[in-house]
Amino acid sequence: MKLRRVNNPVQFFLPLLLLLVVALGPYVWIVMASFKRKGDVITAPPKWIFEPTVMNYVEIFGKGFDRFLINSSIIGFSSTAVCVLVGTMAAYGFSRFKIPAGDHLFFYILATRLGPPVAYALPMYLIFNELGLINTHIGVILAHATFNLVLVVWMMRSFFDDIPREVEEAAYLDGCSHFKVFFKIALPMTYPGLAAVSIFVLIFSWNEFLFALILTGGDTRTLTVMIPSLVLHTGTLWGQVAAASVLQSIPILVFIFFIQRQLVQGLTFGAVKG
Amino acid sequence: MAAQGTQKKKLIDWSSQTTFMVVCMAPIIIFLLVVAVAPLTYAIVDSFRELSLTVFTKRGAFIGLENYGDLIGEDEKFYTSLWHTVMFMAVVVPIEFVCGLAIALWINRQFAGRRLVLTILMIPTMIAPVVVGMIWRFFLMPSFGVLTIYMNDLGLFRETSIFSGPATAFGALMLIDIWEWTPFIMLIMLAGLTAMPKNPIEAAQLDGASKWQILWHVQLPLLKPLIIIALMLRTIDASKVFDTIYILTGGGPGDATEVISSFAYRTNFVKWDLGYGAAVCLVLAFVSLVVAGLFYKVVTRQRAIATTRTAVREKEPAVAG
Repeated sequence: MKLRRVNNPVQFFLPLLLLLVVALGPYVWIVMASFKRKGDVITAPPKWIFEPTVMNYVEIFGKGFDRFLINSSIIGFSSTAVCVLVGTMAAYGFSRFKIPAGDHLFFYILATRLGPPVAYALPMYLIFNELGLINTHIGVILAHATFNLVLVVWMMRSFFDDIPREVEEAAYLDGCSHFKVFFKIALPMTYPGLAAVSIFVLIFSWNEFLFALILTGGDTRTLTVMIPSLVLHTGTLWGQVAAASVLQSIPILVFIFFIQRQLVQGLTFGAVKG
Repeated sequence: MAAQGTQKKKLIDWSSQTTFMVVCMAPIIIFLLVVAVAPLTYAIVDSFRELSLTVFTKRGAFIGLENYGDLIGEDEKFYTSLWHTVMFMAVVVPIEFVCGLAIALWINRQFAGRRLVLTILMIPTMIAPVVVGMIWRFFLMPSFGVLTIYMNDLGLFRETSIFSGPATAFGALMLIDIWEWTPFIMLIMLAGLTAMPKNPIEAAQLDGASKWQILWHVQLPLLKPLIIIALMLRTIDASKVFDTIYILTGGGPGDATEVISSFAYRTNFVKWDLGYGAAVCLVLAFVSLVVAGLFYKVVTRQRAIATTRTAVREKEPAVAG
């Protein structure tokens, strides 16, 4: 569809510029802080011009940033794999068949996402504690996979619903089994959507804080848990906090640029088409 | 699956579909049993116990419904946090909606760099809430936060810091939430506006309708399904707010910014009052289940309206036999 063109550039771009400053300003300030020397970070009046340094980045790697980065990655990719695998199969089932008690199951999957995470985190904590899964990757992988399941099931279901039924019918007439139809026909047609869903699940896991806070500790902590731990009573090294925050958020900025078309759909569990 | 296939040799076609259904659904059912139902059962049992850090090593004594009685009957802090949560939702969601809609209407044009602008505007929503919290903590730090300094210049917060006053602390948290989530509403509204048919608007323009009339009588009614979905999602998410509060105030000063999530967190993982905390969590889970029921009804209906394609869901795939 053709959008309206901009008639009066000044009238249009000035408010837009203001908007961009509000949205981006705080982030830019923390990026700047991450390149400042210790003495330049906290000053009154604030320093806008300074001599950049990468010391903060070097120092957080000395504090085990790389290990937490690896933890976040392991947890992110594993939970995404589990969640997408389990969720896609179920989404296809929901889309194509009348599952006995399917509505109840579909609804229950939704309910795991709507309540406050802490209400589900405690039960998980109690049972993982019993099973010795606290402070392991597995516990938090399972937790993240659970609460992202609704996204995968809802979105993938809508992608499967969009596939014209005739394609699969033709395959059935040619004697293909259900498995063949699913793996060779239905699934490949959803690959672009599947990729977007996976990226979303990955981002949500990467950004998740509460489950990670409760279920990991020491060597298994994720980046989101590590960053607040840099705040100390004896004084926070804001340069390092800034550096860690910037490194944590860079992959996300790259992703949102590339999945912009699916952004709406992902953020609304597929309820809104972009 | 091969085993199941041979068990029911009489109706091979039928059974192969059932087998496939089982293969599709078994993983999610097993998964949910292990990571959702089992823990929930466990928590229900624990909510009937007196289970705190002091008796953590051995299982606590059963005390029946006492935890629930204490919580619903007399825990003022629980009700305070509930009230704060409701207040938080009631303030941030309408503001986010109005701002988000306004921005969407503004941006809904063709211009160079549109994609980049949208990416930038989405940053507050997409970066980790923890990072959002840290950014604003840094921004609003007493004495040295860049925003604090400029507010001091204007004569604000010279004697006290923002997070030491109950009202200003809560207000700051709300503003941060608005900063974080307005782009989310904007994005949904923008999707609706972009997909909107041009004809009704052009017809209204020909009839001499003003911009406001078009907005009120043409655009908003067409956006209605999306507005409902957006408001519901935001309301639900606002009721779960935790990360920024944990980072910025920890529920303080006193319990001025304590919301249900931080209350439940504190009960369980700061006081380690796990039996009582389990009761808190289960009450919250129950409430959210009721809300989820409402949400499910509304979204399935609005989605049916929102998508131009009417979703005709056939019961069975048309397989011969």
